[in-house]
Amino acid sequence: MTSFFKKLLILLIINYVDKNISVLISEYFLILPLTFMAFSFYIYKSNKNIAAFEAFSIGLFVDLISETYFGLNAVIFCMTTYYINLNSNTFKLFSYLQICLFFGLSASAYVGFNQLIINIYDFSYITLFFSSITNIIFCGLIAFIYSYFPKKINLKI
Amino acid sequence: MARIAPTPGQKLSFLIFTIISAIVLYFDITTNSFNSIKNEFKSFKISVKYVVKVSTLEPIQSLVKSFRNKDELISENKILREALDLSYLNNYLISRENIFYKDKEIIKKIHMNSEFLSTYNIAKLRNIDPNMYKCCDRHRMFLEIIKSNDHNFLESTVFNYQGIVGHIIDDNKFYEVLLLTDIAHSLPIKLESNNFFCNAKGSGRAGYITCSYNPLVWTEEIRKNQTFYTSGLGGIYPKNVEIGHISSINYINSNETVFDIKLVSNPLDTDLFGVYRDQ
Repeated sequence: MTSFFKKLLILLIINYVDKNISVLISEYFLILPLTFMAFSFYIYKSNKNIAAFEAFSIGLFVDLISETYFGLNAVIFCMTTYYINLNSNTFKLFSYLQICLFFGLSASAYVGFNQLIINIYDFSYITLFFSSITNIIFCGLIAFIYSYFPKKINLKI
Repeated sequence: MARIAPTPGQKLSFLIFTIISAIVLYFDITTNSFNSIKNEFKSFKISVKYVVKVSTLEPIQSLVKSFRNKDELISENKILREALDLSYLNNYLISRENIFYKDKEIIKKIHMNSEFLSTYNIAKLRNIDPNMYKCCDRHRMFLEIIKSNDHNFLESTVFNYQGIVGHIIDDNKFYEVLLLTDIAHSLPIKLESNNFFCNAKGSGRAGYITCSYNPLVWTEEIRKNQTFYTSGLGGIYPKNVEIGHISSINYINSNETVFDIKLVSNPLDTDLFGVYRDQ
């Protein structure tokens, strides 16, 4: 239970950072979904399968703190969790580049789905395109940092 | 450690929760049913922010603000003090009472041209030893003249808003001023009546100069509280500027009488001085 609240607290902090960054980068047609990425990394890094209820409840919590429609993040988090659980062993055969591409593209899918629901009238392909590139580069950057500072940064990509 | 693939039961639970999420999403979009929860959360967030701000940030901010205000007040006070000292100097120089300019035409001219500032330079006090000034006979101070323009200030009169305090004797990095009370200083003075002249020496005591004369030569009666002025005979100080009044008279013998003059000016009273340029 304590670890679950710890996760919620970490997500709360990341979401706060996410919101502040999005204000700065939105004028450059960029969306960097840090909360979703953090959750994806958590599922990927976990040694056991994440339960559907946990993904659902965390999704609802993110909906609440993000002030979006209830269920929006819950749907995506459930589907992402299921997909990563299903392919957790397959990922071990992938290279860093492939994993970065996967997470970058899944973040782009998240951005696209989000925009479809909350911003349908101003849906922008430029934003989606730039965000995809940025997300992939961002994932690559994390992997790059990990490969150069493996002992100090405890991220497994 | 390898993770096992989701079992059919887990797959089913994922399917169920995904469907539930989709239904919740649909309901929220179409009916806004969860607005009350969202509003409650928003009000909770605002309250938490407010409490955190009041209990942590505001005390720090108010502390910083009070320090800043204090600094601003100190600096403003310093500026005002300097402006006030400057106006005192100006007033002293142009006032008719001090007889700095005995010729009233000059005063009128100065008022008309508003160029009285060009007759003296402002100088800031850089060093004076108050202990030395109050205890011993070497009375000096050091000034920095603002906008000196390479003018030669040697032997220029130095005054504050009360009156003359001395003259410049050295012009190294800072200008050294020989104060009237230094025992090496000698000041030609006179009574207003022009019937008595004397060379007043520095007494080595703060605020006093002393004068010695032969009563057989100067028959004018000297009384306590008589006011003395500069005679202008030394060639350094301007004529007819009030110096002080007699505080005590000591009859040594039939050939010698010594009296002390209490000076009107005190160099410790201000940080800003005027250095008079004789034109």
